[in-house]
Amino acid sequence: MIELRNVSKTYNNGTEAVKNITLHIKPGEFVSLVGRSGTGKTTLVKMLVAEERPTEGRIILGGWDITRIKTADIPMLRRQIGVVFQDYKLLPRKTVFENVAFALEVASYSKKHIQEAVPQILALVGLEPKANEFPDELSGGQQQRVSIARALAHRPKILIADEPTGNLDSVNTREIIDLLLKINNFKTTVMLVTHNRDVVNSLRKRVVALEDGKIAYDQERGRYIL
Amino acid sequence: MIFLSTKRILKFSWQHFWRNIWLSIVTMTIIVLTLFSLTTLVLVNAIADYAVNSVKDTIDVSLYFDNSIKEETVQALEKELEKIEEIKEITRVSPADALAEFKEVHKDDADIQAALAELDKNPLGGTLILTAFNMDQYPLIMEKIKELKADQLAEKIDYNDHQKLIERINGFSNKLRNFVLALSIIFIFIAVLTVLNTIRMGIYIHRTEIAIMRLVGASNWFIRLPFIVEGLLYAIFGCLIFWGAWALALYFSGDWINSFLTGINFDIRAYFNSNILNILGFEFIIIAVINMISAVLAMSKHLKV
Repeated sequence: MIELRNVSKTYNNGTEAVKNITLHIKPGEFVSLVGRSGTGKTTLVKMLVAEERPTEGRIILGGWDITRIKTADIPMLRRQIGVVFQDYKLLPRKTVFENVAFALEVASYSKKHIQEAVPQILALVGLEPKANEFPDELSGGQQQRVSIARALAHRPKILIADEPTGNLDSVNTREIIDLLLKINNFKTTVMLVTHNRDVVNSLRKRVVALEDGKIAYDQERGRYIL
Repeated sequence: MIFLSTKRILKFSWQHFWRNIWLSIVTMTIIVLTLFSLTTLVLVNAIADYAVNSVKDTIDVSLYFDNSIKEETVQALEKELEKIEEIKEITRVSPADALAEFKEVHKDDADIQAALAELDKNPLGGTLILTAFNMDQYPLIMEKIKELKADQLAEKIDYNDHQKLIERINGFSNKLRNFVLALSIIFIFIAVLTVLNTIRMGIYIHRTEIAIMRLVGASNWFIRLPFIVEGLLYAIFGCLIFWGAWALALYFSGDWINSFLTGINFDIRAYFNSNILNILGFEFIIIAVINMISAVLAMSKHLKV
């Protein structure tokens, strides 16, 4: 599903964020990408959604070589990868329903499709009763679930969660992780980017650890041991 | 799908326009000032052309004949003159017509009327009035008149080419035109800066929305087009406001403006009525292009997709 072949990224200021990474993630896999701040995790995510291009190497997603992806093709790529962030990135003046619908509106889906699809997605993340509430009326965990619902709007094959629990307490953290596991059960490939040791250790899933831009270790049913 | 995208792009454009209404008002005000300047430029050109043409229309060569010259001789000369191809029209005023006109002009002057009554015969001779196709042809016509020895036959030849007057009108109108043109360029420059800044502000205000659009896979044009359409909305509303105000101004003060232009027979309302499509089209295209260029400039600098 996700294949990185000898990928390196050096920024214009000379910073080497990622150094010669080779990684293969199978379809339907749940992978935790761990490491301290500044080890290249976010750069890796940015390259996967074509926000940055690798300096060297190749990136292949679902058989699609996106290493030198054309600008016009980037939107299509991003509809196949759902991304959630620590800060939720919700529109405060839109309701929960509208925030999720927004992802479909900008991709020119019909109103009928939106009316049918959004309640289903909200039911999946357990937010159907909150459909008409605004983000600031929700808890942090609920807001992150809205963000996940929006990321799922295009029914992506890959979901990347970049520090999704960074702003949450332990109860909400657990709920979000459970939701990610539930999504993974539907055969969606999940990449959890985090430095939350407890979360990673409780998952007992594959762990890829980065250190200084390189893969420090890659373990099936791994633990966060850096 | 195209219909849906268009509808949503228009919706987003309207939201950008309406949610920043004060910025929109400032932008439209600058557009209205630019349009005022452009319309003034059009008007100055038109008035200058009318002024020059009205002077040109008064140019002619008049050959006055003594009353001793027989009318048949004048008619024979008229036939010779008709052969000159540069002459557009010859108007012959017979001695009788000349006298009738003279009497009409001086009908209130008892002394002149009494003096005319004393005379046995018509003291006035005939007149030939020649007009050329083009004002540059008059010197040539004068030469040909001399070749026909008509200058010897006529008692007096009146030719005033008004060249200096035309040069003065052209000189003045060129200076005025250049001034208004410079003013228009300044306003266009200010309009570009204002629209550019408004759209830049719009991009800043909608930065979260834009980031989310990118995140969820909106196409580049879906993100960019609302800002270009927003620029077009400023052009459309700016033009409508200006044209409405201009129409009102013409309705209420057209006569007053015309009173300054009676000498050149220029009717400002009639001019705008007969040229309305050209003027509105010209102005809208200029303003729309300015706004779209500004939107593209603002996006190229501040909107990465």
